[in-house]
Amino acid sequence: MKKFEKIFKDTAFTLLVLFFFFIISSWIESLFHNFNLIPAIFTLAVFLISLTTDGFFYGIAASLLSVMALNFAFTFPYFKFNFTIPENLASAVIMLIVTIMSSAMTTKVKQQEKIKAENEKEKMKANLLRAVSHDLRTPLTTIYGSSSLIADQYHSISEEQRIKLARGIKEDSEWLIQMIENLLSITRIDADDSGVKVQKSPTALEELIDSVILKFKKKYPDSPLTVTIPEEFITIPMDAVLIQQVLINILENAVIHAKGMTELKLNVSIDGDKALFEIIDNGCGIEKDRLGSIFTGYYEKKNLHVDAQKHNMGIGLSACATIINAHDGTIHAENLSTGGCRFYFILKLESEEHEQQI
Amino acid sequence: MNNKYKILLVEDELNICNFIRTVLEANSYHIIDTQKAVTGLSLLKSHCPNLVILDLGLPDMDGTDFIREVRTFSNVPILVLSARSNENDKILALDLGANDYVTKPFGIGELLARVRAILRTSRIQELDADSVPQNFTINDLTIVYDTRKITVADQEIKLTQTEYNIVELLSLHAGKVMTYSEIIHKIWGYSDFGSIKKLQVNMANIRKKLGEKPGENKYILNELGVGYRMNSAND
Repeated sequence: MKKFEKIFKDTAFTLLVLFFFFIISSWIESLFHNFNLIPAIFTLAVFLISLTTDGFFYGIAASLLSVMALNFAFTFPYFKFNFTIPENLASAVIMLIVTIMSSAMTTKVKQQEKIKAENEKEKMKANLLRAVSHDLRTPLTTIYGSSSLIADQYHSISEEQRIKLARGIKEDSEWLIQMIENLLSITRIDADDSGVKVQKSPTALEELIDSVILKFKKKYPDSPLTVTIPEEFITIPMDAVLIQQVLINILENAVIHAKGMTELKLNVSIDGDKALFEIIDNGCGIEKDRLGSIFTGYYEKKNLHVDAQKHNMGIGLSACATIINAHDGTIHAENLSTGGCRFYFILKLESEEHEQQI
Repeated sequence: MNNKYKILLVEDELNICNFIRTVLEANSYHIIDTQKAVTGLSLLKSHCPNLVILDLGLPDMDGTDFIREVRTFSNVPILVLSARSNENDKILALDLGANDYVTKPFGIGELLARVRAILRTSRIQELDADSVPQNFTINDLTIVYDTRKITVADQEIKLTQTEYNIVELLSLHAGKVMTYSEIIHKIWGYSDFGSIKKLQVNMANIRKKLGEKPGENKYILNELGVGYRMNSAND
């Protein structure tokens, strides 16, 4: 789909630019009665086209068309093709050479940019991997240690201790599960190289919110969550499982970090072709120096103290940002003047993707 | 103790196998387990279990092929264990005839609840094999199939034809996840671009009429991205 779109776009652009420069040339011609400028104008057009479009094809096609136009409309004999005059041929050849060279140049620059972007992405992935492996070690230490203790020295520890150890295993496994879910989401987004970042399908807002509430309440039955969504029926194109995870991550972040919270609100509202999701708490807010990098912090995290892992959200908020970006949405966090903080993200209601057929 | 439910467990990970066996045996089910799909098939034929718990990722046969194969000769309920990362696998398994799925990693509470729900519905269906059930009840909702009447707390609910058909379909398969495409094919007989949305709109209307709110659905539960399930356990 994307490929055809690109071809259409490039073709349209090429024809438009040529047409525009053709008009300018005609105008200059009628104004100055001078043809000297015209090859230069067409060269400029061809250069612009090779700069903007992908690969050599459009540039060369444009230069051929320009040569034809030049030959047809602006050189003697007018409004007739004539390739027998050496002057015309020479100008055609020069034009072709200019095109090929500029196409080659721009293609090279584009490739270098792509390589640079890929390097950046690789670097980010490596950072993520380092940070994650580091964070996985702590819960694994508990799980490994406690379970070997129970398996190997069952009789030398009291029942009370065994239960305590088993609880520790359970708690740290839950943390691991959450970590892995977030990791999976990120890899699920990166997996596709064809430009389609997520598989969107129309999702009924009330069904999404229902699932989020159920899942969240199951884990935190005593949290003061209140939900407001529009009365009317709304569908939003999204990967529902991923967006559900974003909402749960942010809500969970509030439960864990918003000290002194007594209110937790999840509001969804529609404004034109956009859906606004807000999560507002009245807890302690976010430290100023963390606010700026709250969604990217994990990737850049240097060797924090090992025990610090339970105090941060782990990979959760970084995963949120990755998921929302892949949906072409935006996500923000801010402190409120009344205390507490507000996370919000915006998704588009209209989707360019075609509705999923079943 | 011969009246225990017999469960066939097909799972290649020995540790998971052990854990599930322990949980189920502690809850007085009789377990037969195997690590291979091929042995699973022959055990199924020789032991006639009440339920099959199947891991989708088996080394010797694809889990979906296993379901296909089983469905050629048996209607035994199948509970699928699947990895979270792929909704499409779940949908495929359900469409092929699996009754439900549990996503790995799962807790014991979740596993036992699903096992109980499946066994309960399949027993009811066996009992009613010859006669179409008269009515359906969950919490304070009652459906009388003969008169196509639905009541909640003795108040009649006015549904359109389509809305009633959807509720009836789900209730006849209570406890089982019905995928979007399964419902659409059974209600409208065909599917097109807007089908899912049409179903979602109908479902929203049904829920409004039944007086359900997000987070508090008592009758029809959401399986996000997969389908719907009529609740089969009373609160």
